[in-house]
Amino acid sequence: MVEVKLHDIGEGMTEGDVITYFVKEGEDVNEDQPIIEVQTEKMVTELTAPKGGRIKDILVEEGATISVGTTILTIDAGNASIEEDEAAPKNDSETSEPSETAPDHDRKREVKGPVRIKAAPYTRKIARELEVDIEQIKGTGKDGRITVEDVKSFKGPEEAVDKGEKVAPATKKAAEDPTEEENWIPFKGRRKQIAKKMTQSIYTIPHVAHMEEVDMTELLAFRQELKPEASISVAAFFIKALAIALNDYPIFNSELDEENGRILLKDSVHMGIATDTTEGLIVPVIRNAEGKSLSDIHKEMKSLTAKAMENNITGKEVTGSTFTISNVGPLGSIGATPIINYPEVALMAFHKTKKMPVVDQNDEIVIRSMMNITLTFDHRVADGGEAIAFTNRFKSLLENPKLLLLELV
Amino acid sequence: MTTVKTNSMTPVQAINDGLRTMLQEREEMVVLGEDVGINGGVFRATDGLQESFGEDRVFDTPLSESGIIGTSIGMAMNGMLPVAEIQFFGFIYPAYEQVMTHATRMRYRSMGAFTVPMVIRAPYGAGVRAPEIHSDSMEALFTHMPGIKVVCPSNAYDAKGLLISAIEDPDPVLFLEPLKLYRAYKDEVPEGKYEVEIGKGELLVEGEDVTLIAWGAMVPVIKKAAQLAEEKGITCDVIDLRTLSPIDKDIIAASVQKTNRCVIVHEAQSTGGLGNDIISIVNDTSFLYLKSPIERVTGADVHVPFWALEEHFLPTPERTLHAVQKVMDF
Repeated sequence: MVEVKLHDIGEGMTEGDVITYFVKEGEDVNEDQPIIEVQTEKMVTELTAPKGGRIKDILVEEGATISVGTTILTIDAGNASIEEDEAAPKNDSETSEPSETAPDHDRKREVKGPVRIKAAPYTRKIARELEVDIEQIKGTGKDGRITVEDVKSFKGPEEAVDKGEKVAPATKKAAEDPTEEENWIPFKGRRKQIAKKMTQSIYTIPHVAHMEEVDMTELLAFRQELKPEASISVAAFFIKALAIALNDYPIFNSELDEENGRILLKDSVHMGIATDTTEGLIVPVIRNAEGKSLSDIHKEMKSLTAKAMENNITGKEVTGSTFTISNVGPLGSIGATPIINYPEVALMAFHKTKKMPVVDQNDEIVIRSMMNITLTFDHRVADGGEAIAFTNRFKSLLENPKLLLLELV
Repeated sequence: MTTVKTNSMTPVQAINDGLRTMLQEREEMVVLGEDVGINGGVFRATDGLQESFGEDRVFDTPLSESGIIGTSIGMAMNGMLPVAEIQFFGFIYPAYEQVMTHATRMRYRSMGAFTVPMVIRAPYGAGVRAPEIHSDSMEALFTHMPGIKVVCPSNAYDAKGLLISAIEDPDPVLFLEPLKLYRAYKDEVPEGKYEVEIGKGELLVEGEDVTLIAWGAMVPVIKKAAQLAEEKGITCDVIDLRTLSPIDKDIIAASVQKTNRCVIVHEAQSTGGLGNDIISIVNDTSFLYLKSPIERVTGADVHVPFWALEEHFLPTPERTLHAVQKVMDF
C-alpha cells in the first residue's frame, strides 16, 4: 500500500487545498500519472502517483485544506501489471515494499536526474533579486556556466504572458504529458507583483469606467506644424492636458484615506506612465507635470521609458504617482476597463487613433482622426457627473490645442 | 589654519622620527634591543636616539629575544612604555612563548588589572638577500592569537603614524617593518606627533573590476600590478590593509561588493597564511557578490630560499596580473 501525502512542493509551504482529483477510487493509475491538483499559497500544481497501482481510498474531499504530511489517498500497488512500459522485469513485492517508505522527492530526483547549476554567487544573487528561477536558464558562459547576462536576458515565461504568446493551457497539457514541463509558466517575480497590486486595487476600489471619443485632427495637425522645430510625442500632449484638467478637477488627483475618513487632494500632478517592458508592466513617474512645458515632459518621458526598457530604472522613478495614464493606442485598442493604480483615484487609457467618417456641424460627413479614451475612477471618491466634466475638459484641450496656450506656465 | 611642516623621509627615517617624537612626549617610554643603542640598530632605525635620550631610555640588551620581550612585558606591566626591537622578525621564535603566553593574555589573566602597553618592532620579509631565517613573514603566527595587535605599514607616513598609535595603545602591538621598503622611497612625513588609526585599511587606488589586497612590502607589488592591469583595460581597487589584526573587514567588504572579484597578495607561505582569513572575511560578508573564486598570490610553501631563488619565491606584479586575469576570465 502506498500512501500519497501532501509534501512540501517548495518554498516551505505548510498547507494546501485539494482542488481536483483526476482519478476515482478503484481506478488504475500508472507511475507518475497526475492524480491530484493542489493549490498552495503561491501556485497550483499536480501531484503524481509515486507508484502504479489501483486507487484504494481517497481520504480527503475536494476543496479541503490540508497540512503538509496529510495522507490524501492510498494506492494499492500490488497490482503493478499495468506498468507496461518497463523494459526490465520487476518483482512486484520487492519494488512495492521500499516505495512505501521512499519519499516522493527522491523519486522525482530519480526521474529527472539532479539539476547541476553552474553559476557564480554573484550571478545567483542577481537571479534571486530578479526572482528568476536559475534552474531554468541555459548558461552561455565557459563550460555552460550561467552568466549575469544570461540571467538578465532570460526571457522568462513572464514575458510570454505579457506578449500573449504561449499562454499555455498548462494544466490540461501537463495532465496529458507530465514531462512537458516547458508549458508551465512560473507565476512569480514582477508578474506576481503586478497581480498582487491589481488584485488589491480591484478588490478595494469600486471601479467605474467612463468612455469618450476625442477628435484628434487638430492636435495632430498642430503637432505636424511643430515638427520642423520640435517633435513632441502625442503622449506629452495628453500629460499636459491632463495636468491642466486635473487642476480644474482635483478630485481625480487625490487619495482616499478611508481609515481617517478623508480625501487628500494632492498639490502636484505626478503622472505615472504605464509602460510595457519585457519584464512586465512598470509605471515610471513624471513629477510636477503641471509645472513643466510640453517639450520638458516629452524629454523626460522619453528618458524614463528608455530606462524602463533597459530595466535600469530606480525605485524612486517608479513611485509616488498621483494619476496614471495608459497609452495603449499605439498597440491598437478601441476600449478597455483599466484597473486603477492603487491608491490613486483614477486612470486614463488612450486607445487607437484612426480616421473615421464623422458627421460635422453642417451635417456633412467628413474624415476626422478619432480616438477613444477611457477614464476609470474610484466611485467612492467621485461620481459619474464629475468624471464626465473632467473628461470633457480634457477633451476640449486636445480638440482645440490652442487652448493649451492659455495654460502656459 | 595651521600648516603642518613635513619632511621628505624614507620609511626607516620615519620610524626613527616616530620613536624620537614619542621619546620626547612620553618619558616612561624606553627603547631596547640588540644594538639599538650605540650602534643605532642594524638598520639605523634607532640611530642617534641613545645620544639624545641617554642610556636609561635607549639601551642595548644581551642577544636574547626571550629576555628582551620578557623584560619588556615586566616593564610594561609596571607603568613603562617599552618599544622592543627584534632585529629580524625571523629571530622572534625564542620570544614567541613570552609573547603568546604572557603579553597577549595578561589583561585577560589579570581581569584587566594589568595591561601590557608594549610595542615589538620587527623588520620582516624577503627580497633583500638576507641569510636564512632573516626573511620570514610569520605574521599569521601572531594574528591567530587574540590580545595582540599586528600592524604593518607600507610607507613612511603610515610607518610614523602607526608606530605612534602602537606606542599609545594600551595593549601589546607587533609592529612589522617591511625591510625591503626601508629605503625604497621617500614620503612627506609631518613633523611632530600624529596618529594613523590601528584597524583601518586604506584604499590607495580606486577601480571597478578587481579588489587587490596586500600589506607591507607587497603594496608596491599590487600597485604595479594594478597599473599593468589598467593597460589591459582592467581597473583595480588597491587596498593596503595596514593592520593585520584586527583586520578592517569593512574596507574589504565594501570593495569586493563593488568589484565582485578579489586577489590577495602576501609574501608569506600560502598554507595557513593570512590570505585565507581574508577569504573567510569575503565569504562571510560578500559571498553573494562574487563573480569568481578569490585568488591568492603568495610565497611558495617552502622556507624562504637562499638569495639566488628568492625572487622566484616572492609574488611579483606579473604573477599578480596573471591572477587578476584569471579572476576576470573565470
